[in-house]
Amino acid sequence: MIQFQNVSKHYENQTALRNITFSIDKGDMVFINGPSGSGKTTLLKLIYLAEKHDEGNISIAGFEVEKLKESSIPLLRRNIGFVFQDFRLLDNRNVFENVALSLMIRGVSEKDLKTQVYESLKIVNLRHKADSSPDALSGGEQQRVVIARAVVTEPTIILADEPTGNIDPDLSAGIIRIFKDINAKGTTILIATHNRDLFRNSGKRVLKLDNGNLVGDEKG
Amino acid sequence: MTSYAFRLAIQSILHEKWINLLSMITIAVCFLIMAITALSVYNIDLATKTLPEKFSIMIYLKDNLSSEDSKNIINTVKKDTAIETVRFIPKDEAMKELKSFLKNTEYVLEGLDENPLPDSIEIKLKKEAVGPDSVKKLAERLKEIKGVSEVEYVEKFLSSLYSVKVGFKTLGIIFIIIMSVGIIFVCYSTVKILFYRRNKEIETYKLLGATKGFIRAPFIIEGSVIGFSGGLLSLIGIVSLYYTIILRLSLTIPLFKSIIFPAHIALFLPLAGVTLGITGAAIAIGRLRY
Repeated sequence: MIQFQNVSKHYENQTALRNITFSIDKGDMVFINGPSGSGKTTLLKLIYLAEKHDEGNISIAGFEVEKLKESSIPLLRRNIGFVFQDFRLLDNRNVFENVALSLMIRGVSEKDLKTQVYESLKIVNLRHKADSSPDALSGGEQQRVVIARAVVTEPTIILADEPTGNIDPDLSAGIIRIFKDINAKGTTILIATHNRDLFRNSGKRVLKLDNGNLVGDEKG
Repeated sequence: MTSYAFRLAIQSILHEKWINLLSMITIAVCFLIMAITALSVYNIDLATKTLPEKFSIMIYLKDNLSSEDSKNIINTVKKDTAIETVRFIPKDEAMKELKSFLKNTEYVLEGLDENPLPDSIEIKLKKEAVGPDSVKKLAERLKEIKGVSEVEYVEKFLSSLYSVKVGFKTLGIIFIIIMSVGIIFVCYSTVKILFYRRNKEIETYKLLGATKGFIRAPFIIEGSVIGFSGGLLSLIGIVSLYYTIILRLSLTIPLFKSIIFPAHIALFLPLAGVTLGITGAAIAIGRLRY
């Protein structure tokens, strides 16, 4: 599903990722762990093409990134659901409309859109908050809305960048449980986190990054 | 996708109502100035179009020509494709016309033993042939005809009339171009501001897999709505102006009666608004990058 072959990414004064090689199969749930500045976010950005790698080959959901035209980037991104640390919810739209965005972009009909949005809000247990403004929700609830937005289109991959970074530690386990439920249905999930508690004793695969190098590939 | 784009555009128009309203009013004022300019140019053009019908050239013939010679000259003149009608005026008839023209001052002709006026031919030209250059060339051709003594026409009037007409048209076109650029700039600025204000939203759209068309469409619709509304407001303005001021003034000043309101120009305003609005919006969005 995701393949990195000798991938490097350089910025002006530093190397963010150095000669990274790994492969993630369909339906896997993988954690990317490392301290701040280790290259976790850069690695995710290379997957959703917010950045371009300088060396090596990347393949995402059958798309060979090096050969991808700019006009095809939206097609690749439609295979991916995003969960960000800073949520990226739109303040001028309510919860329902925020979740519906991904479907609107894909041109889903009004009727199907309504059903799918309520179903995904049900997964994160926020159906009753459909009419609320994101500002009126707690951090944990906002993150669950973001997860609902990510899963509503039933993507093949979900990328989460520090999904528990801005929420109460007590709620983190709940968020990870939601990810596990989604993964159980066959969605590939990639979670970047510096928090080891999230994957400890989970039995899930953990890719460890340090200073742009892949230093470990083990079970959590 | 189209219905979503329309919905997003309408949401944005209502959400940013003050900035949009201000732009619509600015565009309406620009269009109103454009419409007044177009109205003036149209009426001046219309007025000058009727003048060629009154324009004539006089050919004075040499003395002592036989009636056969005069007939030959008339036939030669008639062959010219620029000429619409030809009227032969014998010297006696010319004298009669002069006397009726002089009326009470006929005494100035006393003491003349014989009629000093020559036989003449009055010619009227086809509308399209009335122009400073074409008339000058025709006059030269007519002068070449054997038996013609002189050719006369109001050269200065003709050239100044055409200078005024061309001048007004040119000024009008320049003015309309400047105003059009102004309208594009207003739409450009408005959409640019809206685009920056919704930057976070646009970045989210991009990540969620929105195509460039999906991102652009609401802004293009918004630009066209702003332009259309501006055009419509100016249409209401120009119609009100015509019916409340010009028609009332025509009751006291007869000159205003001749001002015609061209409906097709007025209806053109909202359409032009849409076109200029879309142009401004398209420039404002520019090239989107993922």
